[in-house]
Amino acid sequence: MATPILMPKQGNTVEECILIAWKKKPGDEVSEGDIIAEIETDKATFELESPASGELIGTFCEEGDLVPVLTNIGVIGKKGEDIEAFRPSEDTPAEEVSVSSAPSEPSAAAPAATTATASAPVTKAEAESVPQAKTVSPRAKKLAERYGISTDAISGTGPGGRVIEADIRAYRATAPRLSSLAKELVKDGYRMPQKGTGIGGMVLSGDLGKPGIPLSNMRSIIASRMMESLQEAAQFTLNASAPAAPLLAARKEIKAQKGKPGFVDVNLNDMLMYITTLGLAESPDVNAELIDNKIYQHDDVDIAFACDTPKGLLVPVIKEAQKLSLPELATRLKTYAQEAVNGNISPDLLSGGSFTVSNLGNLGIESFTPIINAPQVAILGVCAIGLKPVKTSEGVQFVDHIGLSLTIDHQAIDGAVGARFLKKLVERISTFKLSTEISHV
Amino acid sequence: MYDLIVIGAGPGGYEAAIHAGKMKKKVILFDKKYIGGTCLNVGCIPTKTLLKSAHVYHDCKESGLYGITTSAPKFNMAKVQARKKKVITTLTQGVEGMLKRSKVKVVKAAATIIDKGIVEAEGKTYKASNILIATGSAPAVPPIKGIDSKGILDSTSALGLTKIPTSLVIIGGGVIGLEFASLFSDLGTKVTIVEMLPNIAPGIDTDVTSHLKEGLEKKKVKFNLGCAVQEVKNKTVNFKDKNGTKRSVKGEYILNATGRRPVTEGLGLENIGVNTNRGNITTSDEGKTNIPGIWACGDVTGRCLLAHAATAEGLVAVNNMFGTPTTMRYEAIPSVIYTNPEVACVGKTEAQCKDEEIEYTVSALPMAVAGRFTVENEGKFGMVKVLVGKAYGQLLGVHMIGSHCSEILQGAVTMIECEMRVKDVKDIVFPHPTVSEALKEACIHAG
Ligand SMILES: Cc1cc2nc3c(=O)[nH]c(=O)nc-3n(C[C@H](O)[C@H](O)[C@H](O)COP(=O)(O)OP(=O)(O)OC[C@H]3O[C@@H](n4cnc5c(N)ncnc54)[C@H](O)[C@@H]3O)c2cc1C
Repeated sequence: MATPILMPKQGNTVEECILIAWKKKPGDEVSEGDIIAEIETDKATFELESPASGELIGTFCEEGDLVPVLTNIGVIGKKGEDIEAFRPSEDTPAEEVSVSSAPSEPSAAAPAATTATASAPVTKAEAESVPQAKTVSPRAKKLAERYGISTDAISGTGPGGRVIEADIRAYRATAPRLSSLAKELVKDGYRMPQKGTGIGGMVLSGDLGKPGIPLSNMRSIIASRMMESLQEAAQFTLNASAPAAPLLAARKEIKAQKGKPGFVDVNLNDMLMYITTLGLAESPDVNAELIDNKIYQHDDVDIAFACDTPKGLLVPVIKEAQKLSLPELATRLKTYAQEAVNGNISPDLLSGGSFTVSNLGNLGIESFTPIINAPQVAILGVCAIGLKPVKTSEGVQFVDHIGLSLTIDHQAIDGAVGARFLKKLVERISTFKLSTEISHV
Repeated sequence: MYDLIVIGAGPGGYEAAIHAGKMKKKVILFDKKYIGGTCLNVGCIPTKTLLKSAHVYHDCKESGLYGITTSAPKFNMAKVQARKKKVITTLTQGVEGMLKRSKVKVVKAAATIIDKGIVEAEGKTYKASNILIATGSAPAVPPIKGIDSKGILDSTSALGLTKIPTSLVIIGGGVIGLEFASLFSDLGTKVTIVEMLPNIAPGIDTDVTSHLKEGLEKKKVKFNLGCAVQEVKNKTVNFKDKNGTKRSVKGEYILNATGRRPVTEGLGLENIGVNTNRGNITTSDEGKTNIPGIWACGDVTGRCLLAHAATAEGLVAVNNMFGTPTTMRYEAIPSVIYTNPEVACVGKTEAQCKDEEIEYTVSALPMAVAGRFTVENEGKFGMVKVLVGKAYGQLLGVHMIGSHCSEILQGAVTMIECEMRVKDVKDIVFPHPTVSEALKEACIHAG
């Protein structure tokens, strides 16, 4: 009768162990008590003795596998004996168990009492095929701390690239020695250098890189929103430019009125926001959001604008912007921007937009690929004013142009739709007249 | 064509030449005066030799403290000078032997750099891919009226005195001035120090220097601190004290110990455009000058005027020349003042910590916490002071005064060089009974 080799249960808290190495291979003769494998738990590395004498007729896991305790990992018996009866969790063959489900979700077929045996070992091949954050076995972590080694620099050879004790030992054999102080600093997150400048290459405190600065709450939010946007939308950017003379003329007129009663300072950005609002009011395709395969067109132009604040990007929304006159819009923009910078803007004003404008023109940007403020379907980037050669009856002339970069979500809008919207904006800019806009109020 | 030309055979130059020679490089070494440079001939070694004789003389006079009665000892200057010469000869011969064994060609002549990679000496030219400048320093002559007149001693001539002065005025309370003050006061000379700064031995921990001042005052050394010398005339030093009052002090001899200046005259730096700063050759931590292939080390760089620093810089330069990149570390360069009592320091001072905004704690203990100190030093004072980083407990600085502290300093150097924490020092076994145990105690005391 064949004897199964169990992954032993090492104390009450250990639920799984790593099979570091097989010391025997299938076909080898073994005697009871022979060392057949090396195993690592989060507390110790130990040797596994053969439970019986005979031949190692089969193994069920590979070196580096993370195996729940009390799982059969192999069989000792006579040549030719059937080993299949001992294979763990037959209903969920190892090949089909995914990394994420293995440790946490017991398979339905397994008897409830032996939760630990329910999930089959994760094979190395599978683990490698699933990209995931690096994990470090608790024991490896402890050892790394003792030696003052940062695990950042170590590539793990355990399942799923898990860093195991053996990796720490291997790394330490070749890694530079750290001074006592440097070790303390590494524990505090300072980073290991390429090499040390101390005696015999010893790593000194001055050789270490400063610890990473964790993202602020706000940055983390920006980071995840940006990544989500890029992952969930089919973004592409259209670039165009519009003659800027009408805007510049308007700006000059406004400046001239400075000091008059009821004067509102309207700058280029205000005009562009205003023109974009007018354009959006006529383009429901663009003034929309895409949520769960449904397009929600907004009746109002709830225009959002990217605002650079000391703490990072904020995007206030001006609701029903189509109802505002140019001076009203300009005033609203200034108020919201100031509140965003001061950090006292109401959170209600930071959501619910239907379209976003990001202006990097004052920083001299000539064109860029703005990232959509999801789930909106488009964003307009406003760029710097620069000279562009234009063919006229008197030959080629250099004319001021303002750059526009429109990113659209191709899931919701086709290129031609985006292009037509951009064309509309270009036309509105090139025919912009302050007198009409102001009297329009 | 040589791999390396070294100019100057002081501890910077000769050690570098030997190191390169051992690497099987073709090396030639020039010195216009002597093998061993300032250190062996007119610096470290001769001062320490004279100080040793003064020490023995002093101990003989104090032998009663240890239960020994002798007749009054006599200090025989001629014999002491003869021993000094013998020591210098023994040591320079030793250096010459090492140079020979490392196959370094030695030329006793002044060298001038005439172009990149080309040096001229005695009308002959020599070519090399690297030139290491190690021309050292010489006594500085400050702009004080009469200080360069005949009969004013500098450290070199003071080392050659054949009689014990009855009185000596030393201008400058730095390391060199203090060592001469200790030497001659032990021999019975009436010594007066005139120093411009408010403290002696600038750069050294001020607790240590105040104990040193007390120690020397016991030997009747007079200190005029914060006093600017105006003129030296008729064996009299005229100065203004810290209140602006004009005063003067007369001495049989006057010693100018105001500092050192880099030696670059006749070296031809201007021929290749080597950058200097107030005469000191500017170098990187790798020993490079601004001109590729031209390196410098030691006193001529003005970075750290100590023999062992010169050597370390020279070795770093050679390593970088021939493919083992290294950088000079100045964090754990030890310094010693060989006065009686002697001073030994390494690492940061409190002033430096404050300057660099490093939070630290201080632990200072009398050396008598180590039994051996009491055994060895009847009625004498000693102190160990350690500075420890607040956050991590690493040893930042060790500052000591007391007999034999120079010999235990190396332990502290290693600890600081390896960035040990006081916690780690506690795990080291120190021999008992030795004075070094005071260092361990100070570390334990620190937390
Ligand atoms: C009185 C005194 C006591 C000292 N005590 C100590 C001490 O106890 N401990 C300590 O660490 N330091 C001490 N020093 C300092 C120490 O002597 C110097 O730091 C050390 O000698 C510097 O070494 P160096 O190789 O840079 O130059 P140096 O030792 O000055 O050697 C330079 C050499 O270059 C030669 N040279 C110059 N120009 C040329 C040229 N153009 N061509 C050829 N050769 C040239 C010179 O002749 C000289 O031999 C003392 C110094 C003095 C003066």
